[in-house]
Amino acid sequence: MRTSNLTDHISRRFNKDIEDLRNNVLTMGGLVEAQLSRAIAAIVSGDSELGLKVANDDYKVNNLEVDIDEECSRILATRSPAASDLRLIVAIIKTITDLERIGDEAEKIGFLASQLAAMDRPSDSYRELKYLGNHVAQMLRSAMNAFARLDVEASLEVVKEDDRVDEEYDAITRQCITFMMEDPRSIRRFMNVTWAARSLERIGDHAKNICEYVIYMVQGRDVRHTDTLDLPDTQ
Amino acid sequence: MPKSWRKFLIGLALFLGAGAGVGYLYGRPDWGLLAAALLALLWHVRQLLAFDRALRTRDFDAFRFGDGIWQQIFSRFSFEHERGERHKRRYRQLLREIRKSTNAMPDGAVVIDADNQIVMCNRAAKRLAGLKPKKDRGQRIDNILRDPAITELVQSEDMSKTVDIESPLRPGDWLNCRVVPYGADQKLLMLRDVTERLRLNRMRRDFVANASHELRSPLTVITGYLDSLADEDIPAGWSAPVAQMMVQARRMNRIVGELLELSRLESAGRANTETVVDVTGLIAGARKAFENRNGFAEIVIDADPETWLRGNSTQIESVITNLISNALRHTPAEGQVTVTWHEHKNGAELIVADTGEGIAEEHIPRLTERFFRVDRGRARDEGGVGLGLAIVKHVLSRHDASLHIRSVLGEGSEFRCRFPTGRVARRSEAALIGRVQSA
Repeated sequence: MRTSNLTDHISRRFNKDIEDLRNNVLTMGGLVEAQLSRAIAAIVSGDSELGLKVANDDYKVNNLEVDIDEECSRILATRSPAASDLRLIVAIIKTITDLERIGDEAEKIGFLASQLAAMDRPSDSYRELKYLGNHVAQMLRSAMNAFARLDVEASLEVVKEDDRVDEEYDAITRQCITFMMEDPRSIRRFMNVTWAARSLERIGDHAKNICEYVIYMVQGRDVRHTDTLDLPDTQ
Repeated sequence: MPKSWRKFLIGLALFLGAGAGVGYLYGRPDWGLLAAALLALLWHVRQLLAFDRALRTRDFDAFRFGDGIWQQIFSRFSFEHERGERHKRRYRQLLREIRKSTNAMPDGAVVIDADNQIVMCNRAAKRLAGLKPKKDRGQRIDNILRDPAITELVQSEDMSKTVDIESPLRPGDWLNCRVVPYGADQKLLMLRDVTERLRLNRMRRDFVANASHELRSPLTVITGYLDSLADEDIPAGWSAPVAQMMVQARRMNRIVGELLELSRLESAGRANTETVVDVTGLIAGARKAFENRNGFAEIVIDADPETWLRGNSTQIESVITNLISNALRHTPAEGQVTVTWHEHKNGAELIVADTGEGIAEEHIPRLTERFFRVDRGRARDEGGVGLGLAIVKHVLSRHDASLHIRSVLGEGSEFRCRFPTGRVARRSEAALIGRVQSA
């Protein structure tokens, strides 16, 4: 299935509806990506104002989710799409839920950043969080790219990447526990760091989910909770 | 009638005539004519088939020579054909050159059509922004570079706008993007790597801020001791130097303070629009601060108390005090400084006009530079630091406003701050917003 096939309908209106829907999802993706990278920047640079701004801007993502959801329902009701169109709509409905959750996690990170900014800062300015954050942001970007290009191979890459994010998250947790044991006064701060890492790890999971929807959308097979990733049957 | 046609027709007529003549000798001219016509037809059918074969097999030798009508047709055809090939080769060569040069460009270039779909992009676009030249053809550019700023940029009609986005490939790298329209509804999106420039800018900013900070503590010690020295009985002959030192130390303190304020302004983002400022109140406050001093010109206020401004109160206050104190410093005591604040059709304007000595035209563009002085020796004696207008310019740009300076030597100057409509508020709204900042 290529991009051009998506817009290959007899009804020009239907083409336009589907194309608009896809564009809206990608716009929402772009907004969420921007939110995430700003949240990470807020943590790394200790910018409480930026963190709060991220937290306050989450409503834009939520509004887009509601709009796209409505549009999907409308298309389902009026066009009764079949085959690849139906898969596209189903995948979009799921994708926006994950995007909205990512937005929520970014909001949380922004809020945590504003709190962390008021506390002591380590000399490495949360290098591990920055590293994990950039990794996750890259995953999200690849996921949205895969969605735009309907690229199964890139999706598979992202799905595999999630394991490495989990490892990094483990390492950060362990490190935080060590610090907390060394100096109980820092518990409060490192709890916040752990929460931020946790949010980032969740974002990785959501990005992975989006990629699984892309595979479903293109190939029609469901790869969730399976180990059959390495056998992409080409159509 | 071309020569070849005439020759062909005469030849055909002669052949048919000869056939009829031979038939006449045998008593049946009609049969002779028919036989000649059949022969002619047969010959032409053969030529036609040979011509077709030559076109098909590209073996043109059968038609290379001779000057019959068929050879004429063929040579014309092959001439056109070769010319077409030659053009095609030339265009292909040209295209290759163009593609080579666009690929050699250090800046990314993406051609997009009216629907913002990618038509083509060069290698730098791939390197900087991760576009895929072949695969992304037909995709909308804002589906691939999903930064909200890009979406806004490609959809806006304002072509002079540029935005900086973070590179999708390398976090920490920044790309400057602008759209250039060309042809019929095609646009060129240019991407330029500005990481280094931004880094240098930040280094300069950090340097100024750090240096000012470092200067501050020794200065505090010096002024502190000078102050206590002045209180003691100082030996004769030392009182004037100590007083001079105190004046200069205070001046340095003020310079450092303003440098710090400037660097703070530079790193701050856009002033928020949630708080509103009572500009009229600030102007009245500034007048009160200057009124008590002798030797200054009169300040006349013409302000609309109903018009408020969305922005940062302390920053706007520093704009007003800086402009007024500049005006006063350059106006003789019998002159007049007029401060005007009114709403207009497209925004609001704050005007500070004086009847002072005015500024020469060639100096006006440089006025807002740091430490720029029209007359190096003089302004310093009058207490100016040289950063006032730089601060004004930065504050205004944080408030989406612009500064326009007009001046006539010997008649006076006028500093006009134009605020856009989005920044103007009404006094009644101030109560609704609830977070009023007042002087």
